[in-house]
Amino acid sequence: MSPLSLVSWNPSGSLLTVAWLLLPFLAAFLAALVPRLARPLILLVVATTLAMALAAWQGWLPADLLLLGPLGVRLQLDPLASPLLLLTGLVHGAVLLEGWGRELEKPFLLLLLLLQGGIHSAIVASDLISIYVAQEVVGISTFLLLVQGNRAPQLWIGLRYLLIGNSVMLLYLLGAALVYREQGSFALAGLERSSGMALALLLLALFTKAEVFISGLWLPRTNAVAPAAVSALISGGVVCAGLAPLLRIAATVESAGSLLRWIGLASALLGLIFALAERRVARLLAWSTISQMGMVLVVPAVGGLYALAHGLAKAALFLVCERLPAVSLDGWRSQAFPWRHGAPLLLASLSIAGAPPLLGFLAKEQLGLALSGPPAGLLPGAALPAAVLLLSVGTAAVYARLWRLPGNDAATAQAQPGSPGALLLVAALLLLNLSPWALEGWRTLVAQGSSEALLKSAGLLLAGLGLQRLWPKGPDGARLPDLEGLDDLLGGAVLVGAALVLLLGR
Amino acid sequence: MAIIDAIDGFRLMEALMLLTVFTGLVGLLFRRNLFLKVMGMDVMGTGVISFFVLVAARSGFRTPILDGTVAFPGGNDWADPIPQAVILTAVVIGLSIQALLLVAITRLASVDPSLDGGQLDQLGRD
Repeated sequence: MSPLSLVSWNPSGSLLTVAWLLLPFLAAFLAALVPRLARPLILLVVATTLAMALAAWQGWLPADLLLLGPLGVRLQLDPLASPLLLLTGLVHGAVLLEGWGRELEKPFLLLLLLLQGGIHSAIVASDLISIYVAQEVVGISTFLLLVQGNRAPQLWIGLRYLLIGNSVMLLYLLGAALVYREQGSFALAGLERSSGMALALLLLALFTKAEVFISGLWLPRTNAVAPAAVSALISGGVVCAGLAPLLRIAATVESAGSLLRWIGLASALLGLIFALAERRVARLLAWSTISQMGMVLVVPAVGGLYALAHGLAKAALFLVCERLPAVSLDGWRSQAFPWRHGAPLLLASLSIAGAPPLLGFLAKEQLGLALSGPPAGLLPGAALPAAVLLLSVGTAAVYARLWRLPGNDAATAQAQPGSPGALLLVAALLLLNLSPWALEGWRTLVAQGSSEALLKSAGLLLAGLGLQRLWPKGPDGARLPDLEGLDDLLGGAVLVGAALVLLLGR
Repeated sequence: MAIIDAIDGFRLMEALMLLTVFTGLVGLLFRRNLFLKVMGMDVMGTGVISFFVLVAARSGFRTPILDGTVAFPGGNDWADPIPQAVILTAVVIGLSIQALLLVAITRLASVDPSLDGGQLDQLGRD
């Protein structure tokens, strides 16, 4: 059966989808003319995105759209896209809420709309060229968001991001051309039969965009320099644009599955080691993102939910940490955090570490369940779940560095007001458990025996706490190699590309 | 053209274009000057664009536009319009990204007029 015959053609449904994709760009034009409308328009875009995420999950709209003929644009509004859309919608909502009463840099809200438009397209696009265009829109808007304020470090970080992003996207285009030469189409479905060279070039670019492994090393410095709102957008929104195509490729190309799993594990380990040695909060969060994005790739089938839980918590952490006086972890223990900061901080970090009943717990359990099936690939049956368990202990140890019981005293009375955006995201971490995205997972979990899962989670958190206590203290950051210069990043990209070509060559 | 066999010609062109991409990549990697790095990226882009044009030319060289004056030709020596249309988008995107990069470089020149990548890397550190 040809893949085209699966495509359902529903004019009203496709019109709705296309209108939703165009909405952010039209809103940006309108907001440029009438700046007063910018915030209501962003709110409208966020609301429609949440509705589309629900529609995609429930299958209310045609999941597969082919516009402009068989060689045209293909959009997939399917359950794979749904959690990522939900995530980007919520994070944009939180960033909007965060800046609601504040005086913002003038183009910030416009750029937010453009970024939203780009990310939506990147998540639902399902042919190589639409993905390329969407990635570049996301890249340009992120660059412009990064250089807001015009200070030299911001300019440099933004320039680095755009230069690396565009260079790998050129290699991506080369890969796309190879696929077209071999298959006569840019459809993702053709990747399964395409050469390893083409797949390697595509994956290299998407790894950079999805902040995975060595390709993701641009992230720590970017997050350290960028304002908290932009960091939150990068780890909750921009990353979805790179993850969605990766998850789609993993679902299409079976032979890529075990490669992605290995790279995911390596990325998780790399991020953990650097996060445990890191002394600045923003950089710790960035290293942990690299680690968690690796975990997403270990089982791409449950990757969407995992990315959702991680993105919500990580964006909340960035928003809270901006309002804390300490940026160094050295003085973390001597600081007193008032409840309005301490509670979201604790809840969000507990979620990533996998504490019930937060969404992160469910995501971790689903990952564990998916791994407990029949073994795949080279590893013996128990080795992969064990590796993931160890990495989870490491994650708990990383976040144990942030845990601190909040309390109100005289010193905390003058602290900054709480972050409304972080509150929204943390509330989402709790309330989404009752949503259609999570209910099915909870049912499976209860059916499998939830007490065992709870015990495992408690043991995991305790082990993490213990590991964090035992981990050597001191200026460890200096001993780990610094791999984050521009030349290191470019060299790293070439290295990853060469490794992929070797591994996929067939 | 008669001397070079058509298929070999394609192979040769393909190799040259991939070599162009590689040259750009080498420039991007080994030049310390930021401006030259961006030029390296541009060379890479040129190689990729030519590769797309070459892929489009496999089925023929004639511009795939029917203007109504010529009766529909029976021959199949039209160039493939899809890669050509696609790469047009990439050309525009590449141009705008380069413009943005050059603006950022102009601003950074006030920090370090030599535009040395290694020096500028100190900016992102603590």
